[in-house]
Amino acid sequence: MTEARRLSLILAAALLALAAIFAGPTVLDTYSVNVLTRSLLYAAVALTVDLLWGYLGILTFGQSVFFACGAYAAGLVFTHMDFTPGNAALALALGIGAALFTAAIVGWLAFWHGASALYASVITLVLPIVATQLLYSGGTFTGSSSGLSGFTSFDLSTEAWFWLAGSFLVAMTTLAYIVVQSDAGRLLVAVRENEQRCKYLGLNTSRLKIRVYLACAVIGAVAGYIYAAYAMVVAPELAGFVFGTELVIWTALGGRGTLLGPVFGALIVDYESAQLSGNFPFVWQLIIGTVFVLVIVAFPRGLLPMLFDLPRRLLGLLRPRAAVARPARVALATLDAAQTQGAEVGNGPALAVTGVARRFGSLTVLDGIDFKARAGELVSLVGPNGAGKTTLMRCIADGAERSAGTIIVNGHDIGRRPPEACVALGVGRKFQMANVFETLTVAECLQIARARHSRPSLWRRAQRLPLPEAAMHVIATTGLDRQLSTPAHLLSHGLKQALELSMVLALEPRVLLLDEPTAGLTKTERMQIGAILIDLAKKQGLCVLLVEHDLDFVREISSRVIVLHQGRIVLDGSVEEVVASELVKQVYAGSGHAGIAHETAPKTGGQEVPA
Amino acid sequence: MIAQTLDIVTTAAILYAVATGLLLVFGVMKIINFAHGGLMTLGGYAALVTTQAGWNPWLAIPVAALFGGVAGMAIERFVVRPLYARPLDAILATWGLSIIIGQVITIAFGRGVQFTQAPLSGTLDLFGESYSAYRLALVGIAAALGLALTALLQGTRLGLETRAVIMNEDLARGLGINSALVRFLTFTLGAALAGVAGALITPLSSVDPNMGVPWLVNAFMLVLVSGASLLSLLAACLVLGGAQVLVATHFSPVLGGLTIAVLAAVILRIRPKGFARD
Amino acid sequence: MSTLRIPHRRLLMAGALAAGLLAGPALAADTVTIGIPVGLSGANSVVAPSVVQSAELAVEEINAKGGILGKKVVLEVADDASGAAGAQKAFDSLIFQKKVDVLISMETSAARNAGLPIVNRGKVPYIYTSFYEGRSCSPFMYVNAWVPDQQVAPIVDFFKKEGAKTYFLIGSDYAFGRGMLAFTKDYIEKTGGKIVGDEYAPMDATDWTAILSKVKAANPDAIITSTAGGAPNVTLTKQLRAAGIKALYGNLAVDEGTAKSMGADAEGIYISGSYFTNIDTPANKAFLAAMETKFGKDLKTPNDLSVPEYEAVYAYKAAVEKAGTTAADKVIPALAEVAVEGPRGTIVMNKQRHAPLTMYLGQVKADGSVAIMSSFKDVDPGDQCPKLK
Repeated sequence: MTEARRLSLILAAALLALAAIFAGPTVLDTYSVNVLTRSLLYAAVALTVDLLWGYLGILTFGQSVFFACGAYAAGLVFTHMDFTPGNAALALALGIGAALFTAAIVGWLAFWHGASALYASVITLVLPIVATQLLYSGGTFTGSSSGLSGFTSFDLSTEAWFWLAGSFLVAMTTLAYIVVQSDAGRLLVAVRENEQRCKYLGLNTSRLKIRVYLACAVIGAVAGYIYAAYAMVVAPELAGFVFGTELVIWTALGGRGTLLGPVFGALIVDYESAQLSGNFPFVWQLIIGTVFVLVIVAFPRGLLPMLFDLPRRLLGLLRPRAAVARPARVALATLDAAQTQGAEVGNGPALAVTGVARRFGSLTVLDGIDFKARAGELVSLVGPNGAGKTTLMRCIADGAERSAGTIIVNGHDIGRRPPEACVALGVGRKFQMANVFETLTVAECLQIARARHSRPSLWRRAQRLPLPEAAMHVIATTGLDRQLSTPAHLLSHGLKQALELSMVLALEPRVLLLDEPTAGLTKTERMQIGAILIDLAKKQGLCVLLVEHDLDFVREISSRVIVLHQGRIVLDGSVEEVVASELVKQVYAGSGHAGIAHETAPKTGGQEVPA
Repeated sequence: MIAQTLDIVTTAAILYAVATGLLLVFGVMKIINFAHGGLMTLGGYAALVTTQAGWNPWLAIPVAALFGGVAGMAIERFVVRPLYARPLDAILATWGLSIIIGQVITIAFGRGVQFTQAPLSGTLDLFGESYSAYRLALVGIAAALGLALTALLQGTRLGLETRAVIMNEDLARGLGINSALVRFLTFTLGAALAGVAGALITPLSSVDPNMGVPWLVNAFMLVLVSGASLLSLLAACLVLGGAQVLVATHFSPVLGGLTIAVLAAVILRIRPKGFARD
Repeated sequence: MSTLRIPHRRLLMAGALAAGLLAGPALAADTVTIGIPVGLSGANSVVAPSVVQSAELAVEEINAKGGILGKKVVLEVADDASGAAGAQKAFDSLIFQKKVDVLISMETSAARNAGLPIVNRGKVPYIYTSFYEGRSCSPFMYVNAWVPDQQVAPIVDFFKKEGAKTYFLIGSDYAFGRGMLAFTKDYIEKTGGKIVGDEYAPMDATDWTAILSKVKAANPDAIITSTAGGAPNVTLTKQLRAAGIKALYGNLAVDEGTAKSMGADAEGIYISGSYFTNIDTPANKAFLAAMETKFGKDLKTPNDLSVPEYEAVYAYKAAVEKAGTTAADKVIPALAEVAVEGPRGTIVMNKQRHAPLTMYLGQVKADGSVAIMSSFKDVDPGDQCPKLK
């Protein structure tokens, strides 16, 4: 399906929805029109909960507050000043401004580097509690518990309000749909799936979260503004925790991460509760609570996806279908050498580590680490388990990790920079366990790895993905190019490793950190990777730092070996020097490791298990 | 001055009693149990049933522990266990449970405010200040709870295994510790403690279907700033509870009500470990 | 977006439960329908059943005597969940779906405010029967319960007579709490008393430690409180007693039933209101007897929030009969003119949509009953809605 066709289909669906909205008041009674006008606005806020929770992975209890920002801006301005078109515009601006301000504070509190998902959730939980209390203590200014009522507002008919609320919802849903389906939208899922990998792909995830949060705050505020102008009343419960959790309940019931699920969830549950709660006030709450727990435990995807799956499954029973491989949507291409944008080669060594130490409380894991490595050098880092190899990698890739010392990459001190800033200096890190985006396809993983260089579109999907030569080389050698539309979790272990390596290479790094890239690979795969690495160092002039247990492999490919033991460098020299060293043998023997003599013995290969 | 010190100490004691169960569950299972408020309410109604049956009001404490513990067992088995790999969903599911507990209590006992008989009433003279006897007794009870839990964690095999699971669950499992059982027992104990907390606050408060809710957020925040240590929880209760009393007394009780939550959020922003040591 | 179809499909899924409800009310010109939006759930759910019972008795009595203008009276009750969002649904449902002729209800201020714009749209008369903080005005609304201007004076005057000079005021931080105490403060200062403290706690607060320490330090002659109903009120009273505070204690928010259930802690509290079950009039005795007969052991004790509901139904009957029609534009002016003889005395809502009321001062006794100390006839509500007649 071409890009233009895809977008026009979305717009056609939106127009159909708009037509349904405009037909609404002619077929619905006044009562339903009134109730649904409010539900439509609530649904717009539920949409923001889905964007944040379903797509970005931030469970938020506080979206009600942004709704209240818009609503109270209208209520306060129309109550304390006259209702004029100028004041109406002022109120809208104030509402959006207040929502942005609040969201910025929450963003600062909740989305810093290293904040846990739980902490962020708890902050969004405190938000409505603080907001409600402030509204209560506002006295006659905010109307305290009674809220504000009896102000004048736009003189529109009930039908017009329904159309306005409905059009707003359709517009926001369409917009959100286009964005989450776009290249930029895929970043949200990537952050939810694996925030760490995103950071090490050079993406500032905190900034991304704050931006989405701010956008959601604006949607909430506008919905709240329309609500107050229509209902001509604002009350503190609009900002409350109960409304905030109701939004989450609707989202969970409808189906998180589906956009339409939460919208229908909000519309249906809110409309139905108007019908049923009057007759069974407590039982209704009990039913909602029970269904909610059931859905969370047993059907975490929500009810809408189940509804959609049902016919498919029934059909599947009648006519079992063979799995059809999806055709690749994206064509790979080699990036023109003139367009490469990797960090410029600085003066001096590619990597200079001076006096680096890492302590956890009283435990010292690394101490006095000093070494330099040039571009084009392939340095292996060996040592028994617990020697501090991975910790050293982590210190180079994340400025906040080390306790002392300096690290210079490409002539730039990394200081206390977070991983994404270290990536900008030219560091690329591949983790020990293949660290990719499990639910995304190979092509999508690679696109995300390129997001730092080519800003992804907010509404389109790129048809072409230019990758640097090194990454293309890995992809072509390992045959990943034939699996571009395969979800990463279906790949073999070796291909996952290759995918992660290509993702890191797509960053165009100058210093490549590889943590056991061949662990668990077959002999053939290992030889492939080895050849690629030599090529990267020799031809591309990368500085490669490799953690490796397999000394055979080390001997074959590296130009230099550094031996770590108990957090210190015990030897730094050529492969031959290290193999011959008595000290190194003792180190391995003393640690109870298999022993370097054994490891250096020729092997048939393929059957060993990584340490 | 003396009155204020007593206010701070007794407030910290109440907060400590309310938050220990939550802390235990958070430490072992790394989830925040949103049903804690609901379980406290259950404990409150257990106290109500006890005193209505004409039993000694002190008996409310074991009865509430029983109510909370049994509910905790069921919750762990059917709701929390399947959600082990999805901690944010566990928060939501336990929140759903607290809605269910609240509505079931409402249907069974009515929405109205009810009263239990206090085991202690009147005032005691302390340092020349006459002070509520029950609040003073709570300091002793909270201390006893803290000591008993410490003894359990430090002095028994189960406690050792629990501490191992708190530090590193994978490793503990590798060493042959039945971490599923540890989780089950921890949640049961945490729920029982929530019930006890509910019974303990009834003489100060009333018994109604929402009685646990106002305590919930403060308890969360205290646990989050304490990590998984009973000792840092004590520090957090004294410091943040003290701040609450001071703000409520010298500025306004409305701000006082927000003190713990806001202060804890900022503390965690500046020092993610909160009151826990390295 | 098929906002139209989906809800109905969902209804089918909801099964028999919903199917029964969809049937809707029988709308016939030969009935008069009274809508009661009330907090069956939420904060008001404790008192809501007594309000509904009052209305049911009034309707039964009226129908037994031939209805209103010969038409049968029907009740439609809807839950407003004691809040704004619920009230919007309840008012929409009653006005646009059940098409009621009048709304008569006791609600929270937030629910009332949320309902008023819908009343304006639907143009139905609305009688608000809950005491509240005052000054809520709508061309469609009448109020037959008390406002601060009527309730505060009896308590303060009595305390002054008892020799109280210094007062400490404690409230919940919400519209009613603030409104009541602001008026109380003015009134005390106007009559020569001195305010030594004036503190508010959050609306759901149940811990009064800091405020009570301040009360002890200030050592006032009298304390007047106006908290949110239910838990905050009860916890304040309990903790006040536990702290050993012995000042005169006037509670502006406690109702007779709650006072009774608080037991020993409630003893000695002064309360003021327009209705107590102990009011010694034939009308009240007859009302209580009728309630007892109709509801027996299910009877919820009538109170200051439920009795105005009963009287308001009669006020509406009188207004419709005076206007000769249920048309809103005719009934609304008539409501200001008709007098109702009820358990609280003779009530006319002729003061800017509010009513002069006979107020009583009571004290809770050891057995939980309220002894009426004195009564104040036809206390004026003051300037509530100067823009309305």
